[in-house]
Amino acid sequence: MTGPVLEVSGLRVEIPVTDTLLRPVRGIDLVVQPGETVAIVGESGCGKSLTALAIMGLLPRNALLTADRIALAGESLAGISQRRWRQLRGNRIAMIFQDPMTALDPCYRIGDQMAEVLRQHRHVSRAAARERSLELLRKVGIPSPEERLGQYPHQLSGGLRQRVMIAMALLCEPELIIADEPTTALDVTIQAQILRLLRDIQRDTGVGLVLITHDLGVVAGMADRIVVMYGGEAVEVGDCDTVLGTALHPYTEGLMRSIPVPGETRQGEMLGFIPGVVPRQSGERTNCGFLQRCPYAMPACGEAPVPLRDAGDGHMIRCLLSSDGGGRDPEAWTRQPEDAS
Amino acid sequence: MSSMVTSSAPETSMSPSRVALRRALRNGSFWAGGIILALIVLAAIFAPLLSPHDPAAQNLDARFIPPVWSDNGTWTHPLGTDNLGRDYLSRLLYGARISLMIGMFTVLISGTIGTVLGVAAGYWGGRVDLVVNFLITIRLTLPVVLVALVVVALIGSSLTLLVLVIGLLLWDRFAIVMRSATQQLATREYITSARTIGSSTPRILFREILPNITGPLIVVASIELAHAILLEAALSFLGLGVQPPRVSWGLMVAEAKPQLMFRPWMIMVPGVALMLLVFAINLVGDALRDVTTPEGRA
Amino acid sequence: MFPYIAKRLALTLLVVFITSIIAFLLVHLSGDPATAIAGEGATERDIAAIRELYGYNRPLMVQYLDWIGRVMQGEFGRSHYLRMDVGTILAQHIPVTATLGLLALGFALLLSIPLGVIAALRPNTLIDRIALWIAVAGQALPSFLFALGLMYVLGVHYRVLPISGGTTWAHFVMPSIALGYYATPAIMRLTRSGMMDVMQSDHVRTARAYGLSPWRVVIRHGLRHAIIPVVSLAAVQLGFMLGGSIVIETIFSLNGLGYLAWESIQRSDIEVIQAILLVIAAAYAVLTLLADLLNAALDPRIRIS
Repeated sequence: MTGPVLEVSGLRVEIPVTDTLLRPVRGIDLVVQPGETVAIVGESGCGKSLTALAIMGLLPRNALLTADRIALAGESLAGISQRRWRQLRGNRIAMIFQDPMTALDPCYRIGDQMAEVLRQHRHVSRAAARERSLELLRKVGIPSPEERLGQYPHQLSGGLRQRVMIAMALLCEPELIIADEPTTALDVTIQAQILRLLRDIQRDTGVGLVLITHDLGVVAGMADRIVVMYGGEAVEVGDCDTVLGTALHPYTEGLMRSIPVPGETRQGEMLGFIPGVVPRQSGERTNCGFLQRCPYAMPACGEAPVPLRDAGDGHMIRCLLSSDGGGRDPEAWTRQPEDAS
Repeated sequence: MSSMVTSSAPETSMSPSRVALRRALRNGSFWAGGIILALIVLAAIFAPLLSPHDPAAQNLDARFIPPVWSDNGTWTHPLGTDNLGRDYLSRLLYGARISLMIGMFTVLISGTIGTVLGVAAGYWGGRVDLVVNFLITIRLTLPVVLVALVVVALIGSSLTLLVLVIGLLLWDRFAIVMRSATQQLATREYITSARTIGSSTPRILFREILPNITGPLIVVASIELAHAILLEAALSFLGLGVQPPRVSWGLMVAEAKPQLMFRPWMIMVPGVALMLLVFAINLVGDALRDVTTPEGRA
Repeated sequence: MFPYIAKRLALTLLVVFITSIIAFLLVHLSGDPATAIAGEGATERDIAAIRELYGYNRPLMVQYLDWIGRVMQGEFGRSHYLRMDVGTILAQHIPVTATLGLLALGFALLLSIPLGVIAALRPNTLIDRIALWIAVAGQALPSFLFALGLMYVLGVHYRVLPISGGTTWAHFVMPSIALGYYATPAIMRLTRSGMMDVMQSDHVRTARAYGLSPWRVVIRHGLRHAIIPVVSLAAVQLGFMLGGSIVIETIFSLNGLGYLAWESIQRSDIEVIQAILLVIAAAYAVLTLLADLLNAALDPRIRIS
């Protein structure tokens, strides 16, 4: 396949509420190549889940979606009919959700749910659907798959359920998989297994993967490219190693500092944190979105919205600070915040 | 995802009953239902003044006169006369009295029984709860109309007995709702803290719990008021409710039933009155439910 | 699972038992049975003779135990008025009431569930308001009025349906509608609110995310969950309908249990009244039990826990 699996530019989501207009997503660009993993990283409330839902066409009815371009393997998704959406979803673009317990229907067996998806998109017999389901359950590493097919979701452990969800996503050989916090609801030990599974599958099938998470630890070793989101915007975009190695945006830097590093972080040392909370997203921007929580804030940051600029080799940041890291006060993070909103 | 807007701030500074009152006054259903209800109540209260004739006075020369909007209607009898020449408007007004009176007294009785049982079950839980639940189940298993009929038929029908029977039968919803309302309160911190400072049980019950369950209580009371009025109408329709010479809308419908084919207005007049009353009560009840529910309802 | 069933069964039996006591007491304490049977103009001697004959002079407890003992063997006593075995009389009338009840419930479900589903899928639109108004009307309209109204429009004015008797299916149409309508608001509201909740759930979101057809999403993954409490409610409503059938049956001259109860009350036919009270209460108790069991059967989560 040539060309990117997913092209998104200028994605905006607006939600009218009683007296105002919320803007949870303010212009996101995303490009995913076949076989590539792009991670969208950010705290809850930054708009990453809504971005995923927008790409799938699953936004709530009152939400307004605008974009310069959304295309799946070259086919534009703008204004397509509901019927076309149903043909695409679960078929060429699949989504894996955060909590596999609630994502699967507790009233039906695993086998029935998988067969239902497969037979919705392919004309196969029941027996063939069962075969294919078994094949995929094996592929995702589920032991005694025949038994699992006849079980109900609550009879499986969390890790197994997530594997089932991944299997279901793979049923129709999609070109793109969006995984929204796939490991957040799981035990730490299981998390690593699931991530490894996703990586292996990607290598096997060449599927494009959008990995949404708030956990930078998940990203390292998984993603090829990272999009750091804050306040509905991308604040830092780039190659995974580059971004993690030289976090240029203060927010990314803050995220990095809050991860304990084995061997480096000393016992009893306070983990860094980013003071403040994610503000509500309404109204047009008049300044830098991160201003209130940024330890390096300068007067210029409050004057106008900050554009995304290239800091070299496709590493984009949305910040007025110079890209060589100079001019940053090393004590900035440990100083008391001016006001905790 | 971003947080959603919460409702306007000023309301949080007023007491809950004030808030409820303010919201009630803004609620369309409340006004619509309230006005209709008020009119009916006023008509009932002033029935003696408003009735052109004695509702029980028979006039065999003036039987079956149609209402004033029909061909042979007359303003002497604006709503016509029945099979015994009695004035329909007068009977309608006096019937309102009966319906409202029976409704209110039965709700008083059933409300008291149900609230006592429900609060006890919700507050003490455990065995008390089990017993109350069992009583509710027994009550629900008994067919209400049949039981009422049997008692009234076998003992004899006086107004007092009617009120007692209906009152003793319709307490189940009160008990259920009050129980759950009390349960929700009893686990809250201010109850447990009241206990820790040594407040006696009656004190807690009266000062902490009762004031806070009046919201659901009023809502249930409105539902059961409508229920009681309908039950009385059904019993009177079957002849075992209010007895002549007293007037009841149900009785009027029963007496008019033979006239279904040729004089349907005789059934419609008390029928519409009954429906209007119940409808108004339901409107007010719905409005009250809406205003006493805290924000965040679907 | 089985301990659950056993427990519920035991509870149901206990409830029926207590209800039988209440039924018995109601009938025997609401005035003197012997006087009622003797009727007007009876002398003291006649009344005493009747009391002796039917054993009403025995202690209440003894009378009760005697009665309940016979009931458990399938003997419901003898009707004073009809001079027949009560059990036989009941057997003649029960089918009519059962048919009426089931048809009424069927009507209510056929009307309420689709309305509730559609109203939930399109909240605050015209159809939602129509559903709401139907619910409101259903609550304010007493069944006897509705019955009379139907009778007038369909039976008298347009003459499409018969207005009395119970010999053909057509005879049951109006009574079923009149009886079933009262259950419509509750069922519709519950369906609507249940559907609105379930359509927001994660598994429905998954079903949509996998491109399943709207039918599958709404029915298989939506309604399947929302209907569970509705099934329980329907069974309970059927129980209410059985008890409330008396009004409808008298209006439409349907020869069911309600009609029989009505006649027996007028004739002070004690044994029949007692038996009917017990039968209807028992039916309600069984229906409630059925509702709980269905609930458990339909919801796999309860089954496993």
